[in-house]
Amino acid sequence: MLEAIKIQYQEDTPSVILDKENGIFEIGHRSLPENAIAFYEPIINWLNEYKNNPLPKTIFNFKLEYFNTASAKQLAKVLLLLQELATKSDVLIRWHYLKDDTDMHASGVRFSKLLKIPFEFIEM
Amino acid sequence: MSEILSLDFVKQLFFLMQDHHLGYIYKGVFTQEVTDTILSLTENKLEKQEESSKLKKRVYNILVEALQNVTRHQASNKKADPKHDSLFLIQKMNQRYVITTGNIAKNEIIPYLQSLIEKINTLSKEELKEYYKLVLEEGSISEKGGAGLGLIDIARKAGNKLIYKFVPLNGELSYFYLCTVPVLEEENLKENVGILEFHFVEKIHEILNKENLSIINNGPFNQESLLSLLNSLEGQMVGSISHKKKVFYIVVEMLQNIIKHGFIPKDYDQNVVPGIFLLGFNNNFYRILTGNFIENEQLVSLKKKIDKVNALSKEEIDEYYNESLFNFEGSNSKKTGLGMIDIRLKSGFPVQYDILPINNYYSFLSLQSLITVE
Repeated sequence: MLEAIKIQYQEDTPSVILDKENGIFEIGHRSLPENAIAFYEPIINWLNEYKNNPLPKTIFNFKLEYFNTASAKQLAKVLLLLQELATKSDVLIRWHYLKDDTDMHASGVRFSKLLKIPFEFIEM
Repeated sequence: MSEILSLDFVKQLFFLMQDHHLGYIYKGVFTQEVTDTILSLTENKLEKQEESSKLKKRVYNILVEALQNVTRHQASNKKADPKHDSLFLIQKMNQRYVITTGNIAKNEIIPYLQSLIEKINTLSKEELKEYYKLVLEEGSISEKGGAGLGLIDIARKAGNKLIYKFVPLNGELSYFYLCTVPVLEEENLKENVGILEFHFVEKIHEILNKENLSIINNGPFNQESLLSLLNSLEGQMVGSISHKKKVFYIVVEMLQNIIKHGFIPKDYDQNVVPGIFLLGFNNNFYRILTGNFIENEQLVSLKKKIDKVNALSKEEIDEYYNESLFNFEGSNSKKTGLGMIDIRLKSGFPVQYDILPINNYYSFLSLQSLITVE
């Protein structure tokens, strides 16, 4: 079984749960690390691994309050992987945003338009 | 806002602040929240820079008193002339902290204040203690009494003389600058230490007034100082949540730009990136400004990038953002290619820049981004 990744959030890095056993996939809080590529690398590696033998259904929750542009690119990579995954697993993106946070909502809409996987928008 | 504005004042402020070792300046309305954030920001800096816990405590205590004093004596009218705003500056010179505050004072109480400070400056530590008690007991002297106590207390806590200046504004009001340099008892000073004049404070103050600036943070920048600056901004900004958030987005991108691309000349600390951050607001706009050194060889591609995003319509920027978002070619940890596009997108206004050559190798880059306050 693919070992779960659980990362506590810090002031500038998000909380992450990638847990195949319990079917929990989530990125939350704020993401503005100095080196976004380094932070997201293990997440991307994990998803690549997961892609080989995924659960029948994958619901991925984005519960971000804020991310910088360097993180935006890494999130784009994560989402592209989820799109590839969709051939093997039933993928759903749940894009959560804080009430009145039009920027975060708009970011989710942008991603949803550029990708071919279903998005659900949920007010936090 | 299409006219080309000179951002020369960014460079001017940067070098004024460098020359005088100024770390932080706030000009504006002093609320509890503003005071708290200034305290935590300076506490943060003290924590990192200062080994002597005694001096740390002393500086902190004076900060509290000085900020209260400024809060108490600021213009009460919210629509008052921004030139009447109160002021706070902190600098570290020759291992000493210099705390300067400014606020308006009625001309009629100036003779009293002046004689009070002159008196305070002649008193020994013991005498000050006695005098404090005396004034406290006479506390009934209302308006004047309050000012008096605050000043005596600052002098007591500083263990040093007060430095001051009154600058007349009009027939009714003057601007009162007060400067204190905390020392430790064991130093047993015979003479006053610290600065003797503060022309540069007036010079800086003049630029702040002219450009409508409120917060200046003279780096140096790294991820850690970025985070503490962001925390302090949350308490000091006016406007709705969505405006604050827009400012937040732009500040992060502009400062991370400095951290990643700013050049460090060889006479600067090589572990952090020198630079300056400024925030201003008037009735209609937030002005977010940064200044930093940049290698001349990077200028061509930078100008090209900014000119490109500035020339695009809203739809075109959106499109350009989408393209860059999924373009992973040639991007690395230093360069995402999205920062400037995002700043332009969030702001809605062209990104203004001013490049001032320093020498053949590097220049000083000033950037400005605006946000409309509805």
